[in-house]
Amino acid sequence: MVLVSAVRDYINRMLQDISGMKVLILDSQTVSIVSVAYSQSELLQKEVFLVELVDSISKSKESMSHLKAIFFLRPTSENIHHLRRQLASPRFGEYHLFFSNMLKDTQIHILADSDEHEVVQQVQEFYADFVASDPFHFSLNVPSNHLYMLPAVVDPSNLQNFCDRVVDGIAAIFLALKRRPFIRYQRTSDIAKRIAQETTKLMYQQESGLFDFRRTDISPLLLIIDRRDDPVTPLLNQWTYQAMVHELIGIQDNKVDLRSIGKIPKDQQEVVLSSEQDAFFKANMYENFGDIGLNIKRLVDEFQQIAKSNQKIQTIEDMAKFVDNYPEYKKMHGNVSKHVTLVTEMSKIVEEHKLMLVSQTEQDLACNGGQVAAFEAVTNLLNNESISDIDCLRLVMLYALRYEKESPVQLMQLFNKLASRSPKYKPGLVQFLLKQAGVDKRTGDLYGNRDLLNIARNMARGLKGVENVYTQHQPLLFQTMESITKGRLRDVDYPYIGNHFQQGRLQEVVIFIVGGTTYEESRSVALQNASNSGIRFILGGSVVLNSKRFLKDLEEAQRIARSSPAVV
Amino acid sequence: MAVRERAVDTVSPCLVLVPIIKGALTVGLPPAWVEVSEEIAANVQRVRTEMAELAKAHAKALMPSFGDGKEDQHLIESLSQEIASLIKRSEKKLQRLSAAGPSEDSNVRKNVQRSLATDLQNLSMELRKKQSTYLKRLRQQKEGQDGDDLEMNLNGSRSKIEDDNMDNMVFNEHQMAKLKKSEAFTAERERVIQQVMESVNELVQIMKDLSVLVIDQGTIVDRIDYNIQNVATTVEEGLKQLQKAERTRKHGGMVTCATVLIIMCFIMLVALILKEIFL
Repeated sequence: MVLVSAVRDYINRMLQDISGMKVLILDSQTVSIVSVAYSQSELLQKEVFLVELVDSISKSKESMSHLKAIFFLRPTSENIHHLRRQLASPRFGEYHLFFSNMLKDTQIHILADSDEHEVVQQVQEFYADFVASDPFHFSLNVPSNHLYMLPAVVDPSNLQNFCDRVVDGIAAIFLALKRRPFIRYQRTSDIAKRIAQETTKLMYQQESGLFDFRRTDISPLLLIIDRRDDPVTPLLNQWTYQAMVHELIGIQDNKVDLRSIGKIPKDQQEVVLSSEQDAFFKANMYENFGDIGLNIKRLVDEFQQIAKSNQKIQTIEDMAKFVDNYPEYKKMHGNVSKHVTLVTEMSKIVEEHKLMLVSQTEQDLACNGGQVAAFEAVTNLLNNESISDIDCLRLVMLYALRYEKESPVQLMQLFNKLASRSPKYKPGLVQFLLKQAGVDKRTGDLYGNRDLLNIARNMARGLKGVENVYTQHQPLLFQTMESITKGRLRDVDYPYIGNHFQQGRLQEVVIFIVGGTTYEESRSVALQNASNSGIRFILGGSVVLNSKRFLKDLEEAQRIARSSPAVV
Repeated sequence: MAVRERAVDTVSPCLVLVPIIKGALTVGLPPAWVEVSEEIAANVQRVRTEMAELAKAHAKALMPSFGDGKEDQHLIESLSQEIASLIKRSEKKLQRLSAAGPSEDSNVRKNVQRSLATDLQNLSMELRKKQSTYLKRLRQQKEGQDGDDLEMNLNGSRSKIEDDNMDNMVFNEHQMAKLKKSEAFTAERERVIQQVMESVNELVQIMKDLSVLVIDQGTIVDRIDYNIQNVATTVEEGLKQLQKAERTRKHGGMVTCATVLIIMCFIMLVALILKEIFL
């Protein structure tokens, strides 16, 4: 809630004092930021009658001086360039400039110089620089996400851009919350350390005035960790609603694009899955597939009842009542169709790719022990023709991540089998993954076999049995959150930056995963917050991953690493 | 939440004053359709105020009073009719805002249309709700009263029979009165039903027209990024179509054909005149 309402408050403030007909101009990043928090009909209520992208307004030359222009852009040099051109020949009556992050002094000078016609009424910084997709989950939609896997020497300038974007996003979160955190990072990750250092420099030195909030409130904790510490979670198949839709179809900024999936009726080709606007989705987004099926059936039955009663129009009162209730009916109809379409398409995909079979083995690889049984299971699935290539790759990766050291011969056999199956997925990718996220590189206890407490816990869980084989996996993040709640996050593994330490009991924690988060982890955070442990967790990442996206990042990184002489 | 204003310090003090004066001038004259939209917006405002008056009139009519309430009824009827006709007129004007050809201006027009359509739809639904609750309460009241009256009459007349046989005529009169009353009641109900049917018909028509324009909240059409994509594609397509139209116009076969025909006509005319002269 807090993230979405922060963005909404910023947008409301932008629009409130400007009267008359307005046009809102965004760039490709701020479009996502605004679209997840504000709807078109709300904009229309505020008299914003046109929304455009900053690179397309210069294409048309028609003067619309009866409109007042509100720009909401990221402070990039490209946007400043567009603004210069606009200000040189202004099309609109008034110009109000809002930037989603801190402007450099040089940029302000450029703007001032190009404002020859004096059309700029105000220049403000409104720090809504993150996509608030869920109440406690945000993403930054960083374009070249794979850069985090590469050492700095490979592409220093692009990596600097990546870090700058991440630091800007994190700074915006804390400016929106009006807090200055103390920062801890994962020791084994260079990029986490770098981002932590740059964030500290920004908050405590460069812009310390801007971040100097009331010291009476307890400072929150910012924990920066690396995706590669838990490479298992993005590789797994998902069975809870939101995570499953993202894994099988793909969610971008709370929108689902069904056009590539199959024959879909025109009004369901693109749908919105937002917990703010859809009560059914809010109640079911973390439920597993079986329960969703039952709930959807109940929803459809309810709807059919209403539809039937609508058809029995005998008296005039019935007719009048029908006309009154028509908008509600139409909305419900749209909602029911949307969920039915989604679940139907996902069932088709599950059936086609035999995902239930694959997922069982995946969960075993992620949670239980038994190398021999695991090897057999993976080999069987590799021999199964109906399993797709990408699923085979995932299985081998999961096996390799777990049994990296245990039986090299058998691992080699699996590699060979994979190579013979699909020339596209070379085993080199698996080895690259091991180099990036192998057991030597990881800090966290991913499989619960490092310290005695975790081993005991695993054994107890094995004896008790699990409720649902397909959702038994808990992301590593869950353990991290537990450690933080109990105050047992080890300094050795997650050191502090600078001289700013925790004082008093924690109330708020922001965890940022460099490399991307997953919806399974966002679910874990939401459930943790609902359990009222006294600490509120917020999760963010550079992107939101699913297995395809994670594998794509790996491939990109591998390709660059191979072609670069700097990498060993 | 934190914000920061960036003051443009490099501007010299005298120049700072200029924007304040110039600002008023740079907001240029709006295009013609804006007048139409402002008229509709003014209508919407009027409807809102009259709706509030109607609510007050409804409340007053429902309270028990000593008069026969005909004045109140009259006021309510006239107000309802006025509101309904205002909504209908505004809705017709709304159709005028539709623009041909994709361009930025037409997108602004479309959005203004949508916004006003939403307002009109909400108002017409509010009107319906107010009317139906008023009718319901009125019916309850009336039936309550009439029920009591009838009861009393029946009892009263029964006792009269037992008392006096000669009161046959009186009894008949009572019966006649009852009949007349129930006839009047039925006629009244018929009229009310007729009214309701008419208003429902009108409302259905208006809602059909408006539902094309109104955005369904929570769907993909209500997303800002979806609307931007559509703007981009329609503007580009519009540009392409305009360019195509330009090209065909320039190389217009029609124009050359027409000119050729006219020249031929002149030649023929000249030939005819020459023939007349030389013959």
